[in-house]
Amino acid sequence: MYDFEYHKPKSLDDAAATLSQHEDFKLLAGGMSLLPALKLRLARYSGLVDLGALGQLRGIRREGDEIVIGAMTPHAEVADSAAVARAIPALAALAGGIGDPLVRNRGTLGGSIANADPAADYPAGVLGLGATVVTTRRTIAADKFFIGMFETVLEPREIITEVRFPIVEAAAYSKFRQPASRFALVGVFVARTRGGVRVAVTGAAPSVFRFKEAEEALTKQFDSTALDAITIAAAGLNSDIHASAEYRAHCVMVMTKRAVAKAANVPSPCNERGRVRQGATMSVNINTPSPGSSAGERGSTYR
Amino acid sequence: MSININTPSPAISGGGLGRGRIGQPVLRKEDLRLITGAGCFSDDVNLPGQAYAIMVRAPHAHARIVSIDTAQALAAPGIIAVLTGRDMLADGMKPIPHRPFSPHPADMPLENTDGTPIFTAPHYPLAPDKVRHVGEAVAMVIAESVAAAKDGAELVEVDYELLPVIANTAAAASPTAPRLFDQARSNVCLDGVMGDAEATAAAFARAAHVVRFETKIPRVTGVPMEPRAAVGAYDPAIGHYTLHAGTSGAWRTKADLVIMLGVGDDDVRVITNDVGGHFGTRGMLYGEFALVIWGARRIGRPVKWTCERNEAFATDYQGRDLVVEAELALDADGNFLAMRGSNISNAGGHTTNFSPLRKGVEIMSSIYRIPAAHFRARGVVSNTAPTRPYRSSGRPEVLYVMERLIDLAAREHGFDRIELRRRNLPTEAEMPYTNPFGMIYDSGAYHRVMEKALGLGDWAGFPARRAEARARGKCRGIGVANYVDTASGVPRERAEMTVHRDGTVDVIIGTVSTGQGHETSFAQLVTEWLGVPFDNVRILTGDTEFVKFGGGTHSGRGLRLASIVIWGASQQIIEKGKRIAALLLECESGAVEFRDGAFVRPGRGRTVSLTEVARAAHELPDVPDDLRGPLAAISDETITTAQFPYGCQVVEVEIDPELGSLEIVRYSAVDDVGRAVNPAIIHGQVHGGIAQGVGQALMEHCYYDPETGQLLSGSFMDYAMPRADNFPFFNTEYVETPSPTHPLGMRPAGEGGTAPALGVMINSIVDALSEFGVRHVEMPATPERIWRAIREARGGAQSMCDRNTPEVMLR
Repeated sequence: MYDFEYHKPKSLDDAAATLSQHEDFKLLAGGMSLLPALKLRLARYSGLVDLGALGQLRGIRREGDEIVIGAMTPHAEVADSAAVARAIPALAALAGGIGDPLVRNRGTLGGSIANADPAADYPAGVLGLGATVVTTRRTIAADKFFIGMFETVLEPREIITEVRFPIVEAAAYSKFRQPASRFALVGVFVARTRGGVRVAVTGAAPSVFRFKEAEEALTKQFDSTALDAITIAAAGLNSDIHASAEYRAHCVMVMTKRAVAKAANVPSPCNERGRVRQGATMSVNINTPSPGSSAGERGSTYR
Repeated sequence: MSININTPSPAISGGGLGRGRIGQPVLRKEDLRLITGAGCFSDDVNLPGQAYAIMVRAPHAHARIVSIDTAQALAAPGIIAVLTGRDMLADGMKPIPHRPFSPHPADMPLENTDGTPIFTAPHYPLAPDKVRHVGEAVAMVIAESVAAAKDGAELVEVDYELLPVIANTAAAASPTAPRLFDQARSNVCLDGVMGDAEATAAAFARAAHVVRFETKIPRVTGVPMEPRAAVGAYDPAIGHYTLHAGTSGAWRTKADLVIMLGVGDDDVRVITNDVGGHFGTRGMLYGEFALVIWGARRIGRPVKWTCERNEAFATDYQGRDLVVEAELALDADGNFLAMRGSNISNAGGHTTNFSPLRKGVEIMSSIYRIPAAHFRARGVVSNTAPTRPYRSSGRPEVLYVMERLIDLAAREHGFDRIELRRRNLPTEAEMPYTNPFGMIYDSGAYHRVMEKALGLGDWAGFPARRAEARARGKCRGIGVANYVDTASGVPRERAEMTVHRDGTVDVIIGTVSTGQGHETSFAQLVTEWLGVPFDNVRILTGDTEFVKFGGGTHSGRGLRLASIVIWGASQQIIEKGKRIAALLLECESGAVEFRDGAFVRPGRGRTVSLTEVARAAHELPDVPDDLRGPLAAISDETITTAQFPYGCQVVEVEIDPELGSLEIVRYSAVDDVGRAVNPAIIHGQVHGGIAQGVGQALMEHCYYDPETGQLLSGSFMDYAMPRADNFPFFNTEYVETPSPTHPLGMRPAGEGGTAPALGVMINSIVDALSEFGVRHVEMPATPERIWRAIREARGGAQSMCDRNTPEVMLR
């Protein structure tokens, strides 16, 4: 870690003022991505502005047809929120499946979408639900917010304050995990809204993106069979030591169908398990017992 | 030395003693300390006035060092010294004394066919002229703080002349491949054969069936929970070096440092406290160990170095990496006639160790009866991190090949895979069995253990479970794999035992627990044999100040050899004790018996305790001179026989055919441990061993970019470690067939979990995919590989041409 100045402003105005005085200062939210990058000397900033003391950026409320979540709200609070679970259960499930308990207790919504990791979960939820990102300067539609790998339209001195998620008719998130990092190898968020179906894909490409062909087909018929005639091109998708673009393209189709099936509350023929296995899918329903978990198969024999 | 296992020691027949005897699953003594943060690992050691070292590491896989400019770094704040390979050579540092093979007489010789010596080249802690893998150290920066040292390291300017890179194992063997060592004819350092070529050719000529299998067992790394760390100190007044570091044996590390520094045996002390994982990764001295003590002498202050995880991924000794081509010949009834083939093992960027190559080839026929065999064995170097023996050196690789060959033979030539195994497993009447390479398997109830595992895994009930899984859209498969494991390693070990006047017993021994629980299981031996309360036994290891010799911990030799010398020392204590007790009991020493921790004169009812005898040795005026003082004994033994633990695993998996993802749903293992000292520790070893083997089969992979030699799996973000939720609960059992080649009947249990895991996993996966006609899935069997295997078997192979990931990405 290189030396840096550390600021912990008491108000949003102070934070904005500090940022405006120092061009290369960086905002620190939960620090789940930033701090490891600093420790590994992969990133260098002359100062950090820690948003941790700004209580007004933290919290969850329902306003009309929206769930409004403060930018500094940790994932665990979203996962455990009764309001979110009632209004957009898929969003609570998404938050509950990010990283591990340590990450969920520290990592924040605002930090995640500002970082725009191509394999992060929240960008899929924000884009899939067609949420609105509110900053100290403006409101930004999700469709305009993510523009590339670790890249958003946020300006250097702009601070996300909250994200407004519309309550939709049905939604689900299906994630296929990369076995090492357990980030999304491919994650698909499907939402059926009054204006049509939205499908957002994370992990597969340099940035989260909307799967327009799937959206059109699903808007006509919200059923996984509507996707049978659709494919997604491998060109432009990520290829790395964990999965080729071709396999990712295949996974996008499978995970989209599974998300649709989940959102439509119709059990998929290959129902997902609650427990995370090697490369297994994540499921909202963690109460379905795994067939492999019957008592007869689980006891370790000791003599 | 002779100890008859069939004659119970007095303590065994006596009974009535409390906790901690042999066979009891007592809780581990060390765990309270370790899990409450009271352990002392290498990085916990801090010496007054210490400075901090950071290594400047090569960003290139193969390059000549043109120049190193340290001026800017030296001018940076807090920098004390910047030392290069040139400084190191100027001070006379010798290379790391790697040994190509373990020095055990039970292992088969492997030499170059053309009679030339095996090629080896010096491996220095700092590369003086050339770097041969990414991460190789070229300079050491010592500073007042880690941060200052890191700042300084960034200012060291190294001018590299880039050289062509060769990272792939099979390609490295080519005569036209870029050469790592100018003084070598090629990258092939060792090219030998084992077995009987003529007999093998004759057997193949009359075979009814031949099955062929080619595979690569990928490179993995140990990933100990505790990364390396080292603190070095130097006392100029007496010219004495001290190293604090996690090792697998302090004495051997000391002996190597003595060679590297060119100093006397008494001039180096190595102290190893708690060690958080080994697996072979800590089996040899690391260059940094020599650098910190040398640096301490150079700057006149202690020097500390702590490895970070990314350094560990790039520079820990790695494991496996073997390319195999093998053929198995069978007669019409399914009897194995012969096997032949070729193995290429990758030693990485230096000629560190060819033991895994040899230990694999010599047991290529696995546990089965195969009359003839012939294998070519080549060891190559490449622009990757150096490799060493890794949990069950060389064996899981070849055991996997054999188990795949059997399943392939069954499938391609119409045999039942269990019947094929039954037909070719040696019976107890055939023991000891000499395999076609000359290895002598001591004993074993191979059939009984396999049947037990098949029962534990409910092989018979599988069809119903498969049908049930199919109804859920899952492909369920079952696999079986047998193993036999050669436990050899350094053959000598030494124990020094003292019974103190307060009744406590100290045992000094030259192994080091790197997680195996020696403080517990070794204490159980003393409790059993001397009748001393379990809590009164202290096991002292890891400090060359009092450890006068030690072979270290590897090759299943910890308890296996410790038991022999602890037994030997115990018997000496009893014999000496009888002579002293005779004085107290007023009789001839021949009339004294030792029972339940006390000396008795039969018929008189009077007893004296071991503690009283220990006191008398100090205090009684008429104790003979040779017994006066501490009641102590030394046992120093060289055991030239190897032991052969064996066992069987049965695994079931369920595959989601859409994604290729899998879940392990049942895992059963049976191991023959000869004689169980602590069942809980044995089960723990098997559990950890299974996880390590399954990790290799499914997800772990040190992935080097073939073009650049860059390590693309250099962090936990990309190197997939198995986690608890990757597994079901395991069903593990053991049997106890005393090993006739071990004086106490013991067989090691530390590697049996890993040894068959690769084969049983791939066998179960291929069985799950049998309905699609999938012949094989290479390791790691990732979801993509499984998905591709299904697709290709279904006839989608044409799309393989247009996919945008070269196959090498998956290798």
